[in-house]
Amino acid sequence: MAMITYVEFDGRERVLDIAAGSSVMQGAVNNNVRGIIAECGGSCSCATCHVYVDEAWMGRLANKTEPENALLDAVCAPRPNSRLACQIEVSEALDGLIVRIPAKQV
Amino acid sequence: MSTTAPAAVYWDPYRPDFWMDPYPTFRRLREEAPLYRNEQYDFYAVSRFADVEAAFNDRETFSSSRGDILEYIKADMDIPSGMFIWEDPPAHSVHRGVLTRVFTPRRMNELEQRIRAFCVRCLDPLVGAGRFDFVADFGAEMPMRVIGMLLGIPEEDQVGIREKVDAALRTEAGKPLEVSQASYKGAGFEEYIDWRAKHPSDDLMTELLQTEFQDETGARRKLTRQEVLIFVNLLAGAGNETTTRLIGWTGKVLGDHPDQRAELVKNPALIPNAVEELLRYEPPGPAVARYVTRDVELHGRTVPKGSAMLMLVASANRDERRYENGERFDVHRQGPPHISFGRGVHACLGSALARVEGRVAIDELLKRFPSWTVDFDNAKLSSTSTVRGWDNLPAFIGDGLARAARARAPQSAAPAQSAAAAQDGEAWELALSTPVGQQNLSARIVRNGATFTGTMTGEMGVQDITGKIAGNKLSWTLSLTKPMAIKLSFDATVEGDAMSGKVRFGMFGGGALSGKRI
Repeated sequence: MAMITYVEFDGRERVLDIAAGSSVMQGAVNNNVRGIIAECGGSCSCATCHVYVDEAWMGRLANKTEPENALLDAVCAPRPNSRLACQIEVSEALDGLIVRIPAKQV
Repeated sequence: MSTTAPAAVYWDPYRPDFWMDPYPTFRRLREEAPLYRNEQYDFYAVSRFADVEAAFNDRETFSSSRGDILEYIKADMDIPSGMFIWEDPPAHSVHRGVLTRVFTPRRMNELEQRIRAFCVRCLDPLVGAGRFDFVADFGAEMPMRVIGMLLGIPEEDQVGIREKVDAALRTEAGKPLEVSQASYKGAGFEEYIDWRAKHPSDDLMTELLQTEFQDETGARRKLTRQEVLIFVNLLAGAGNETTTRLIGWTGKVLGDHPDQRAELVKNPALIPNAVEELLRYEPPGPAVARYVTRDVELHGRTVPKGSAMLMLVASANRDERRYENGERFDVHRQGPPHISFGRGVHACLGSALARVEGRVAIDELLKRFPSWTVDFDNAKLSSTSTVRGWDNLPAFIGDGLARAARARAPQSAAPAQSAAAAQDGEAWELALSTPVGQQNLSARIVRNGATFTGTMTGEMGVQDITGKIAGNKLSWTLSLTKPMAIKLSFDATVEGDAMSGKVRFGMFGGGALSGKRI
């Protein structure tokens, strides 16, 4: 389990307990966090679960894969701390993670 | 979820009356038969959101390898390489991967200005007309232009090729555009692909021809000509039909909810959310099928391996277990996302494009036409095996409504082509090579200058046809409703007593046509 803070685009915070082994995207979708569409259900092909990872956490996540990099190149308003939430696997080590959801995915 | 025997819920996808308003039945399916079994047509169906979503995400149990349309799963036909919507990983991942980078949200959003220009081109001439057709005048036109531009079908010059492609894409003055005619004309694409291979540009066709990728065997290669052709046909079909339906539904649903329409006019910032709500409320693709690869337990019963499973997307979208007041249309809805683009590895590749098109279309529409009244007397709803929506949705705008009262006098149906007229004329025996084997048909045609009328006879019964004549070339279409709703487009050349040519089966590729005079 890890407590993850999702900051929705209007600033509303959702602090949720997400099971280890799940993904940050799945945690959002299961709890109806607004602004995550996740059309492809985590297969890294739609780029609609874009989040900004809190800077303090950037160095603590597993590296991006080539397909994720390619898609991040193509999201709306990418930033250096952009990630696809479906590619961030939840573990105890991510307890306290903060992600911010962009104003638009598409 | 007990079923009371006398009124057990019945549903099948082949009844037009049912498709007029399927939602009461869907509601009953969700409540009374969440795993529905139809013996007559031999399929299962799931209708609750959770079940539909789970099936989309379990691609190993619910496979796309035999197609995503009930009839195709049953026909168990060979799927050509590159038809990635009908493949499973790893081939699917490879083929789709080639296109994924092209259809990303940002690249689609970059098209916005050009999409807007196509909308303006469609809508400006309609201002002041008092009446227009959401589908024929707009919904069928704009998406075709956009996908044509994306693929790189030229808007000017390139004489020889351009004329062919453009002929397929042009609507006749004063006549509604035939979407299928525009999008499925394989011959135009074939020649254009060959031309494009020699004359690269910055369009998608060029990108497809030049992209190198690692295929499922690990080899690095380019797409074959056939794969490119399949991609292009698939994209042209998918890019047209679905968005066309979305625009039709926009006219219908906003026409039914004038208060919400007025809100959108006042506050266009609501439009992106309205697009999502329209997609949820009336999804252009209401049902998707999968092939069941192993016995699977659902709601206490076993669905056996080898079954066909229908996922009722349109039902899932209104499931009250997930959507509060799911049957209510609300442009302010902030609930969880709909499932109209599917989920999982086969989730709609063009969803970003569809969203931009929908958003821009509604914006430009409402700027010019803040209110309208749908002319239901002359509207036509149809449901094929893949999409449900309006073939025609005429509406009265501005003072058109006043004129409507006078115009309400029944317009005579399309000029009847009497079957009797086809008793004479030329008689032909035709053989078609189709994905499911050879089909034999007979045709009678009566020439009349540059056009002809006649009939075709086959397993489907007798159907009237009309077509065009150019020298020794004949072209015509035939709409079948059985075994599936599909439009066949014929292009034939007559040499003496022999006919040869091609037939296109909607978006499912083409085959050879041969015939002899009898």
